[in-house]
Amino acid sequence: MNTVKRVFCVVLATVLLCLTFTACGSRQQSPTQASTDTLIFAQGAEPRGLDPALVDDGESSKVIVNIYEGLLKYAKDSTKLEPCLAESWDVSKDGLTYTFHLRKGVKFHDGTDFNAEAVKFNIERQMKGKATQDMSYADFVYGYVTKVEAVDEYTVVITLKDVCTPFLYNLAMSIAAPMVSPKALQDNNNNVNEHPVGTGPYKFVRWDKDQAVVLVRNDDYWGEKAKTKNVIFKIIKDNSARVVALNNGEVDMIDGIDATVVDQITKAGNVVDQPDGMNINYMAYNTTSPIFSKPENRKAFSQAINVPELVKSLYQGYASPADSILPSFVPGFAKDVKQVAYDPEAAKAALAKAGITSVHMITYSNPRPYNTATGQALAEAVQGYLSKVGVTCNIEVFDWTTYKQKIKAGDYDICFYGWTGDNGDPDNFMALLSDKDPTMNVARYDNPQYNELIAKGKATPEGPERDDIYAQLEKIQADQNPWLLVSHSKLLSAYSPKVQGYYYHVTGNVFLSGMSKNK
Amino acid sequence: MLKYIIKRLLMLIPVLIGVSIIVFVIMRVFSPDPAPIVLGQHATVEMANAWREVNGLNAPLHIQYFNFIKGVITGDLGHSYYTKTPVLEEIFARFPATIELAVSSILFASLFGIIIGAISAVKKNSVFDSAGMVTALIGVSMPIFWLGIILIIIFSGTLHILPSGGRADPLLQPATVTGFFLIDSLLTGNLQSFADTLVHLILPSCALGMYSMAIIARMTRSSMLETLEQDYIRTARAKGVTEGRVIRRHALRNALIPIVTVIGLQFGSLLGGAVLTETVFSWPGIGAYTVNCILKSDFPVVQGVVMLVAITFVIINLIVDVIYAFLDPRIKYSKKEA
Repeated sequence: MNTVKRVFCVVLATVLLCLTFTACGSRQQSPTQASTDTLIFAQGAEPRGLDPALVDDGESSKVIVNIYEGLLKYAKDSTKLEPCLAESWDVSKDGLTYTFHLRKGVKFHDGTDFNAEAVKFNIERQMKGKATQDMSYADFVYGYVTKVEAVDEYTVVITLKDVCTPFLYNLAMSIAAPMVSPKALQDNNNNVNEHPVGTGPYKFVRWDKDQAVVLVRNDDYWGEKAKTKNVIFKIIKDNSARVVALNNGEVDMIDGIDATVVDQITKAGNVVDQPDGMNINYMAYNTTSPIFSKPENRKAFSQAINVPELVKSLYQGYASPADSILPSFVPGFAKDVKQVAYDPEAAKAALAKAGITSVHMITYSNPRPYNTATGQALAEAVQGYLSKVGVTCNIEVFDWTTYKQKIKAGDYDICFYGWTGDNGDPDNFMALLSDKDPTMNVARYDNPQYNELIAKGKATPEGPERDDIYAQLEKIQADQNPWLLVSHSKLLSAYSPKVQGYYYHVTGNVFLSGMSKNK
Repeated sequence: MLKYIIKRLLMLIPVLIGVSIIVFVIMRVFSPDPAPIVLGQHATVEMANAWREVNGLNAPLHIQYFNFIKGVITGDLGHSYYTKTPVLEEIFARFPATIELAVSSILFASLFGIIIGAISAVKKNSVFDSAGMVTALIGVSMPIFWLGIILIIIFSGTLHILPSGGRADPLLQPATVTGFFLIDSLLTGNLQSFADTLVHLILPSCALGMYSMAIIARMTRSSMLETLEQDYIRTARAKGVTEGRVIRRHALRNALIPIVTVIGLQFGSLLGGAVLTETVFSWPGIGAYTVNCILKSDFPVVQGVVMLVAITFVIINLIVDVIYAFLDPRIKYSKKEA
């Protein structure tokens, strides 16, 4: 090697080393992290897309709610409805016609006007005939709509084929309901997954696949402008790496954590947030089986299980025992409904009298959002309680896909299931027990009185009368015990104490526009 | 040489046909139906059927395969079922990240592997030799995901000197020219971004390169030991050539042939086998993405990626063979010897 080459190599190596160490030295305060202008939220998976009509996952919806808005929105700490792009709305007496009065002066991020035509375009895009098969929520949200008319620039009239009060709740959802710029849809072949244009407090900047989605404040926003200029949704797939990133100050907020890392997070001085989630975790009695077609047997089994104790030991405080199907923040939640109390003696006597000594149980092997401890762990805990009252359980465990087929076949006495709410309407939870589809109504419960009330609830306008119907339904459930309610699982997320105004909505979304960051 | 290269490139065709058939059959036969995954929990049987019809999944297998091959020839690999984005776009958004990581890992592995191996060989049975070989043993036996997490906990979680993951700070990312951040940051003259990218590369390269480094170190040691016994080494020493020169010019260079083969093979496997490293370090590469697509039965993407990796693998092997000729002029890929 001649001298010139040698000198060149040494110089190159030195430069590289210097650059590396300079960057290393400044690591604790990289420009992005040090800046109070940028909020970084780390999530565990990449969004499926950013077109509200084409996605069905929570990771997409977290980003979507910061870019788009719907006609209605949920209140900050519940699923009560509030005006958003629609300032007010009227429902006709027969409950079939909805008139929305739109907010004036709202513009999409591309500068086009938000008006009645835009609403019509967005809804018609997802109505039967026009919707493509991969618009997974189109039928759920707009299935009842038969006609959309733009009466004038700021008034939209929507006609339904049947009365459906949950329709209003659908319009506040983060999937299918948010309004997309019609121009952007036309320019992008009806798919704005990678070119989102909404009316929300943040505008889309870019999406580096598997790395981050970058947003910037919408300075022309019609409402209160976002407090922080830049927002980054960073994708960190590994759970422990996400926790290290928060503790290391590389990101400001994370979600998708479990109880095992809570100590690690709080010891590093960060804060764990844990509101109740919009879900229910339950055990279902097969009401068509010889044993559980009798309500008294269902009651005796429920009496044998100490639910609060079970929830405490299984979920270590990260789920709360459920006294009603509805989470407390869903309209229609009835405070005074109580489930069957723990009474092993009474259970033992009743079961001995009925001559029940064994049951066939099926369950799932994996964790679910409403049951982070797995169906198997839950089934085994129940098995322990039942053995104390002289009942043996034969548990069969399946992976989720096979499990659903077993549920459909119906060969079980007891099964384990749960539900994550879609739209925050009580009907979305309570109607499960009247559903004709046995993979939804896994207790195969069929009570004409219950079904009638469900139909009535669907047709009754919002208000105390409707809430009362759901309270009655909850009472029927508590008396008849088609399900043994177990828990509402909490939504765990964590954030740096520098973040001000943090909140994680009960629907699992994060609205970043009201948050800021201290030095 | 040119003829040889052309011949090798032509051999790509049967390899690709074989690979395409295997991946096609495996995905269609063993993967669950993509329709319920794509359409979500509210999908009805009719919706799923209609979706399968539109995506050509109701046609007989051989017709589906024919359509796929037609697409490959015309350069249209279709759209991802799950995100609706063209497959090529999805792949090229991630492939540079994988290559950048694989190249830096193999550089790390080769540099340290050869140095450790050479020192171990020259100082055979000394403390250096034992230390080098223990390092190599640790390197081969440590699971990547565990090593990755440990590196993150030490250098990021405790010492706070290196980032825990990602490819670059989102706001420092260079403008895209080639997709390779190191090159792009230099092209755009953004030194801050260059340094940032480099720093992000350190931990994942070490974690990913550790296994290859161990293999290379062992191979270098044994190959060097053999070369050092050769007559021409004794001759060189007898001629009065300095020991350093003997080792570098005479021993190492002749020992390199098997080492280069191993490096080539290791590099190929790094391209396809970086799944765990990519997941642990949130590296936006093709490995973790493909696994995700396999789980979601996203046929077009998986087929596309496997074809691409196969092509890359063959080309790397070709490059390795060409390098042989430069390392050892006795190796000629001429007609006479063939």
